Amino acid sequence: MQTIEWGFLIVNYLFLGGLSAGIYFVSALATYLQEDGQPAYPRIARYGAMIAPWPVALGSFLLIFDLGNWYRFYKLFIHFKWQSPMSIGSWLLLVFTGVSFLYFWAWLPEEARKALFAKVPKRLAFLNRFDVDLSGWRRFLGMLGFPFSIGVGIYTGVLLGAVQSRPFWNTNLVAQMFLFSALSTGTAALILALSVNRKELDFKQLRFLYTLDICFITIEFFIVLPYLIHGKLSVLAVQDALKLILGGPYTFVFWVVFMLLGLLLPLGIELWEMAPAFLQKSAVHHNKRLASGAALLVLMGGYVLRYVFVYAGQVSAFK
Amino acid sequence: MAEKTKKRYALVIDSRKCINCKACVVACKAENGVPVGKFRNWITEERRGTYPHLLATFDPEQCQHCQNPSCVRVCPTGASWQREDGIVLVKFDDCIGCRYCMIACPYNARYFREDEGVVDKCTFCVQRVDKGKIPACVETCPSKVRLFGDLDDPDGALAQMLMTRRYLTKKSETGNGPQLYYLL
Amino acid sequence: MASNRMDRRTFLQVTAAGAAATAVVTQTGCLKYFEKGDGSAPPPLEVATACELCPNKCSVLAVVEGGVIRKLNPNPENPKSRGMLCARGNAAVKQVYDPDRLKQPLIRAGERGEGKWRAVSWDEAFDYAAKKLSEIKQKYGPEGTLWSSTEGFQEIFFKNLGSAFGSPNIVRHPTLCLASVNLAYSATFGTVPSFDLLNAEYVIMSGANRFEAIITPDTMDLIGSAMQRKAKLIYLDPRFTVTAAKADQWFPIRPGTDMAFILAMLNVIVGEGRYDKEFVATYTTGFDKLAEHVAQYTPDWAEKETGIPARDIVHIAREFADAAPRAVYYAGRRSSWYRNDFQMRRAQAILNAVVGNWDREGGMVPNAKIAMGEYLFLPWDDPKAGRVDELDKNFPLAAKGDGVYLKLRENVLAGKPYPVKGWMVYKQDPVNAMPDQAATLRMLKGMDFVGVIDIAMSDTAWFADVVFPESTYLERTDPIEAMPGIWPAVVFRQQVVKPIHDTKPNLEIVQGLAKRLELSDYFDYTMDQWVEAQAKDLPVKEPFEYLKKHGVLGIAEPKYGGTLTPDHRFVTKSGKIELFSERLGESGYDPLPVYKPPTDPRPGEFRMVLGRKGTFTHANQTNNPWLHEFYPENSLWLNPKPAANMGIKTGDMLEVSSMAGSVKIKALVTEEIRPDCVFMLHGYGKLAKWQSLVYGVGASDAVILETAWDEVSGNAAFHETFVKVRKV
Ligand SMILES: Nc1nc2c(c(=O)[nH]1)N[C@H]1C(S)=C(S)[C@@H](COP(=O)(O)OP(=O)(O)OC[C@H]3O[C@@H](n4cnc5c(=O)[nH]c(N)nc54)[C@H](O)[C@@H]3O)O[C@H]1N2
Ligand SMILES: Nc1nc2c(c(=O)[nH]1)N[C@H]1C(S)=C(S)[C@@H](COP(=O)(O)OP(=O)(O)OC[C@H]3O[C@@H](n4cnc5c(=O)[nH]c(N)nc54)[C@H](O)[C@@H]3O)O[C@H]1N2
Ligand code: SF4
Ligand code: SF4
Ligand code: SF4
Ligand code: SF4
Ligand code: SF4
Ligand SMILES: [Mo]
Repeated sequence: MQTIEWGFLIVNYLFLGGLSAGIYFVSALATYLQEDGQPAYPRIARYGAMIAPWPVALGSFLLIFDLGNWYRFYKLFIHFKWQSPMSIGSWLLLVFTGVSFLYFWAWLPEEARKALFAKVPKRLAFLNRFDVDLSGWRRFLGMLGFPFSIGVGIYTGVLLGAVQSRPFWNTNLVAQMFLFSALSTGTAALILALSVNRKELDFKQLRFLYTLDICFITIEFFIVLPYLIHGKLSVLAVQDALKLILGGPYTFVFWVVFMLLGLLLPLGIELWEMAPAFLQKSAVHHNKRLASGAALLVLMGGYVLRYVFVYAGQVSAFK
Repeated sequence: MAEKTKKRYALVIDSRKCINCKACVVACKAENGVPVGKFRNWITEERRGTYPHLLATFDPEQCQHCQNPSCVRVCPTGASWQREDGIVLVKFDDCIGCRYCMIACPYNARYFREDEGVVDKCTFCVQRVDKGKIPACVETCPSKVRLFGDLDDPDGALAQMLMTRRYLTKKSETGNGPQLYYLL
Repeated sequence: MASNRMDRRTFLQVTAAGAAATAVVTQTGCLKYFEKGDGSAPPPLEVATACELCPNKCSVLAVVEGGVIRKLNPNPENPKSRGMLCARGNAAVKQVYDPDRLKQPLIRAGERGEGKWRAVSWDEAFDYAAKKLSEIKQKYGPEGTLWSSTEGFQEIFFKNLGSAFGSPNIVRHPTLCLASVNLAYSATFGTVPSFDLLNAEYVIMSGANRFEAIITPDTMDLIGSAMQRKAKLIYLDPRFTVTAAKADQWFPIRPGTDMAFILAMLNVIVGEGRYDKEFVATYTTGFDKLAEHVAQYTPDWAEKETGIPARDIVHIAREFADAAPRAVYYAGRRSSWYRNDFQMRRAQAILNAVVGNWDREGGMVPNAKIAMGEYLFLPWDDPKAGRVDELDKNFPLAAKGDGVYLKLRENVLAGKPYPVKGWMVYKQDPVNAMPDQAATLRMLKGMDFVGVIDIAMSDTAWFADVVFPESTYLERTDPIEAMPGIWPAVVFRQQVVKPIHDTKPNLEIVQGLAKRLELSDYFDYTMDQWVEAQAKDLPVKEPFEYLKKHGVLGIAEPKYGGTLTPDHRFVTKSGKIELFSERLGESGYDPLPVYKPPTDPRPGEFRMVLGRKGTFTHANQTNNPWLHEFYPENSLWLNPKPAANMGIKTGDMLEVSSMAGSVKIKALVTEEIRPDCVFMLHGYGKLAKWQSLVYGVGASDAVILETAWDEVSGNAAFHETFVKVRKV
């Protein structure tokens, strides 16, 4: 009996996992790139570090919540099944979440940390032992986290792609599609963070984010395209599966909401923002609304992409 | 015990004899306590033609106890597992209810049990088979559409049948290695 | 098959039978088995019994665990049920644990049919019913009561109570079912034979939908022979049934014209001298008259009547004759079709006779029967009054014991020849089983007293004054039943679990009433005494013990040809097989089947036809959750052509009306029915709220069926109703 077993909780989970991965990746990159001993893009790095752990933590919580027996989730971690994307993924998530919290700690401003521990009541004095300064480890932690962030980004795609019974998913492009969508949503989140921030925009850092996002979106676009082309040229089952977004129930969401509004439009906006920087070596247009608008669209697009794949994929099947 | 001596259980199905009476479906419900609205086995109907030139066929379907069961592969906890005799089962105690196996099954042969928060499926009636009986759906059928037995027994009824009759298997392109053989 | 999250009701149903628990055991249990060997639970015990959910009485091995019925398995020892249990047989477990079932005696508290009930003790129920019955006896005499029932192992006690009470009005289901076919074959052969479908090589079935209307062993034998290419199957039916789907050839015959098809076959077979000359000469009478009679019924003529091409008729006739004696024109079971049904079945019988398939392997075989003892109870004197259906006057040839249901209803409603004011019902649901539900309800409401013995709240029980809950078959022991046939058997239905509610087996209900009606002397025996008396002559050692252990005693080796000795006397007037029947002539009927063309529905009207589904018995079991889920609601089959003209799509709500009444029901537009016919499944649109799954769901065909009967047997003619269909 064909049933939709994975619903919005899973969509959210895939989205949030990817989001954290993206944010972490960009932030770690920003930490890694240095100018005379200092992170080249400190604010990106800090914001990223501050935000990164939370979406994935929430996502994992949602996943567990979706289980038929949530209290058995620990069983994920007493077995390791190397053939099961979900098993690998769970471990990845675990490590990644851990690292990203350390990284968060490392970036947590001195005073914030102190303020935090000031609140610790006498009885729990021992907690103060955790009042350690990891700021020296930022770069190391950032680099340590790279592979895991990418891993998590890919995993969200592999989880679906590795299911040979669902032709809509079972192509070697879904993993990459989800990875770059993740990176781009992460970048967008940071653009948002930077632009909603009260202080006037920091051109240098914004330009960096735009550049990254334009790359990510373009690559994502050039993954989605061959995904469609290959699909159309593939075996019947895959062609039928694609009908779901080529005339089928998910056509509008995919083409208008995702492709147009979630991918091409923000790309356009970001290019326009960057235009001056491309043409004459001057700053970007600095239009907060446009910036945050583009970012929101990217986030929305990333979410819709996962929605379409989770739902349409489950409906697709071999005849 | 059955699963020690090397066996490979499978079904040969002669759909032409199926009269869509649902006895096998209800027998399974009773034998295995399948909830109302959920099914371990079902009859796929195909109806074609325009009056008075008509066709109707009935295909009994259930878990294929695949050679390479994708449900087992994707299960993160090992709750889905396969016995040496090919029977694919779910250890309820280890099942976290993620339903990944349901999505990974090309035959949609699994169902979720809200009451237990676990995934359930055809067990080939191990509780009967291990006592030397045949599965409930096989036994109760008025026209004896299904033949249950050991593929690895060269002079068993199954092997014999498959040697001498033409048959097809469903969705073999998934590489799951289905073990329900439909006679032509 | 779309599956959805389980709603609360289904969840309750799962847990109801402890099913949820068992399932867990199934999966983890097998794991435990794998690791630690089998669990410590006491071994489940197996009780041999006999299914009761339809007339086939298949043998069952019931698995009981801790006092709960876990599973019903087929018992391969029964040569008739051939080691199968159908969907209904498997679902019988649910009948026991059904939350809707009758749990204690009930006395009506509100208006008839209002559904207000008072749960009472058995004593109160008995006293009340006995009081009412006695009052009626006082006022109108014993003939003022009516005792109606459908076959069942304990039916005899009920009928006996009616007779002992002094009522001539015992009426049974056959005149809603198979009276005409039985009468027709008896009139021809002096008995009603079985058909050896296991060995037949050529089978013609007209509207005997064997692959949905399950009859053992015919269903299994036919699917085997037909699909293994042993037998050729020709099927005639206005609907494309499962049997049609499996047949080598299906002809959507024009309804009511089967006789034309048969007569034309005879025309060919006789005309071309393809009949079995020796057999005809030795065993039959009236062949010359027959030959003369069928000469007029040419295939070309039949083509115009039936819509079946003449060349096909000729071809089939020749193949049929050539395949004889391994060729049968199957009699059919539910012959409650048309006003001329008896004569149509006569034509079948004659056709079978002339090709000489009588008492031959693969042919038509007189039933063998295993001899059995019987309990000798005190006899009562015959009723003084005549039957209210005036059988002797209206249907001189009809089976006396069974009565004629529809004529009876007509007379009771008209209060002639005398008033009938009490109605006792056993194991029957006339509100749905009879055509013109409104008339049946009028009859119920006209009664001073109605008592119903049932296991569930049938629509008839819903209109009763007292409802006596019988224990379900798995909770009681029944008499032994002899099952005649080519593979005769006796089956024994023994108690599997104790009654889980305050219910009684019918014998105790009858005895409870008898005591208060001062008729106890006629019922002073126990079930065990009765069964032992029956068992004692059986051809096995310790027969009672044997049956307790095996549940069935069958003869697997058929005997053919017992009657094929020239001096054999058939139980007919002439002692021979009567192709031409003087007896019919004397009673004022056609001695040879004379064809009368049916009227066609007027434009905009459709002929309503009936039929079975494998998952339900009659109007019964649609409320069983394990069966209901396959067909949650019934709908009106309508061919796409007329549907298009009326702009009707599947799912549209329709009003279907006839002279009898009208119902609202959803449309099912399907190619699988003739453009001039409609069909709906029986057993929906229930009036009783305690049929919770089908109460008010879909529609009851009984509402729109008009009253008509076969003139000879009085058998109901269910396919004589024309309906108007309107989109609403
Ligand atoms: N419209 C229409 N009418 C028909 C038919 C049709 O196909 N369509 N078919 C006709 C034919 S062939 C027949 S045989 C008749 C059958 O007519 P019925 O005999 O009325 O058939 P059922 O609908 O099965 O009703 C049987 C009743 O017995 C009850 N019952 C079941 N088991 C037991 C038991 O163990 N003890 C007791 N006390 N009660 C029990 C059931 O709950 C049900 O109420 O209907 C005839 N009428
Ligand atoms: N599953 C199941 N099995 C049963 C029963 C049950 O209720 N359920 N009931 C049992 C009983 S009591 C009986 S009597 C038998 C009944 O078994 P059957 O005798 O097979 O009776 P129906 O199933 O009513 O099938 C009657 C068929 O005749 C077709 N028909 C209608 N008009 C004509 C016509 O003019 N010509 C021809 N050639 N066909 C026509 C109808 O479309 C329908 O398909 O089944 C028995 N077995
Ligand atoms: S029991 Fe046999 S005939 Fe009936 S539906 Fe199942 S497979 Fe088909
Ligand atoms: S059919 Fe589905 S559930 Fe059964 S073994 Fe194959 S993959 Fe697993
Ligand atoms: S639902 Fe249970 S059996 Fe299926 S994959 Fe998840 S843990 Fe394994
Ligand atoms: S083998 Fe057993 S579990 Fe599987 S479908 Fe048949 S009855 Fe159900
Ligand atoms: S045919 Fe089905 S319902 Fe009828 S007796 Fe046999 S098992 Fe029971
Ligand atoms: Mo019947």
